[in-house]
Amino acid sequence: VTTARVKASPATPNLARRNSVFDLSTMTLREVNRLLHETRAGDFLIKNPRGLHAIACGLDGDLNIVVDGHAGYYCAGMNKRATVTINGNAGTGVAENMMSGLVHVKGDASQSAGATGCGGLLVIDGNASSRCGISLRGLDIVVKGSVGHMSAFMAQAGNIVVLGDAADALGDSIYEARLFVRGKVKSLGSDCIEKPMRTEHKKALRKLLDAAGLGGEVDVAEFKRYGSARELYHFHVDKAGAY
Amino acid sequence: VTVAGSHPFSTGSDTCLVHNGSLSNHNRLREQLVRQGERFQTDNDSEVAAAYLAWRIRDGDTLERALERCLDDLDGFYTFVVGTRDGFAVLRDPIACKPAVMAETEDWVAMATEFRAIAPLPGVDSARIWEPAPATVYAWNQSA
Repeated sequence: VTTARVKASPATPNLARRNSVFDLSTMTLREVNRLLHETRAGDFLIKNPRGLHAIACGLDGDLNIVVDGHAGYYCAGMNKRATVTINGNAGTGVAENMMSGLVHVKGDASQSAGATGCGGLLVIDGNASSRCGISLRGLDIVVKGSVGHMSAFMAQAGNIVVLGDAADALGDSIYEARLFVRGKVKSLGSDCIEKPMRTEHKKALRKLLDAAGLGGEVDVAEFKRYGSARELYHFHVDKAGAY
Repeated sequence: VTVAGSHPFSTGSDTCLVHNGSLSNHNRLREQLVRQGERFQTDNDSEVAAAYLAWRIRDGDTLERALERCLDDLDGFYTFVVGTRDGFAVLRDPIACKPAVMAETEDWVAMATEFRAIAPLPGVDSARIWEPAPATVYAWNQSA
């Protein structure tokens, strides 16, 4: 994509101006994403998302993006440095594989929120559905509502904080990610166990809650911690008969 | 792939079904349903699900009950949306791999695999929007 082509586009907004507005009812998604990729900083409002997929995907800059409505699949995927706020619900795979920055969903998130995320913070004000934080690799996720089944499946690193409940098979085949749940856990997945909340965990949880804007509102003493029993890490010869 | 496998599938006089997924026990179930008098036009797994529902409803089940039985009798993965003369229902299998989103207002209820399909509907800004939970029947009946 050449700069000349961007300049030739009739709908190109003035990127030098702060608070540029991109309207997805008059601009194409590719055009909006391309403009966001080509700028290093600034505040942008994306109007009329109408469930379109891959909005504000692959950003790498000091951008502050507001998606004003419901987003489709993979919104803010692969995010680096940028802050993306979704004023609505997010579809499957919001903030998947994000590297850094902040993604904030004001509504609910669908399946696989924050999947394979490497870093940064994902805050979901509503509920997240199944497989939240699947294969997590260092991203921190704070869900103010509840999470669906198979959340934190094979999660390797990072933290998942759930203020509500967790559905079936939380943390199945989990590696070293830390899970903090305030509400009820319907069932734990294979090799996931409750672990004691020591001072270091309370401190870490406090930091996560503060980062998610919940400073003072939520007591860390109300949470339980879950993590790996580390029984699936290695092959045990006495279990050979099971194969 | 043939057009014979196009959805929706209708096997009863007032039952039609759209299925996202794939059933693994459809061959055996088809044989059982043939013995119950169901007729098939294709070898498609979704038609088996439609016939299963038509059979259960003909046998006296409500649409809701028939879908609850699907959780026991159908093996595989599925998100179903079913329409009857006066009913509308949605069911996802317990693993719920296939996506679904629902929206409801005073005037209508809608289901799609992505919000994009629901976004243009009138009054959507004030609709209640949610993701249907796995292994849970959502059913509506139009009162006469």
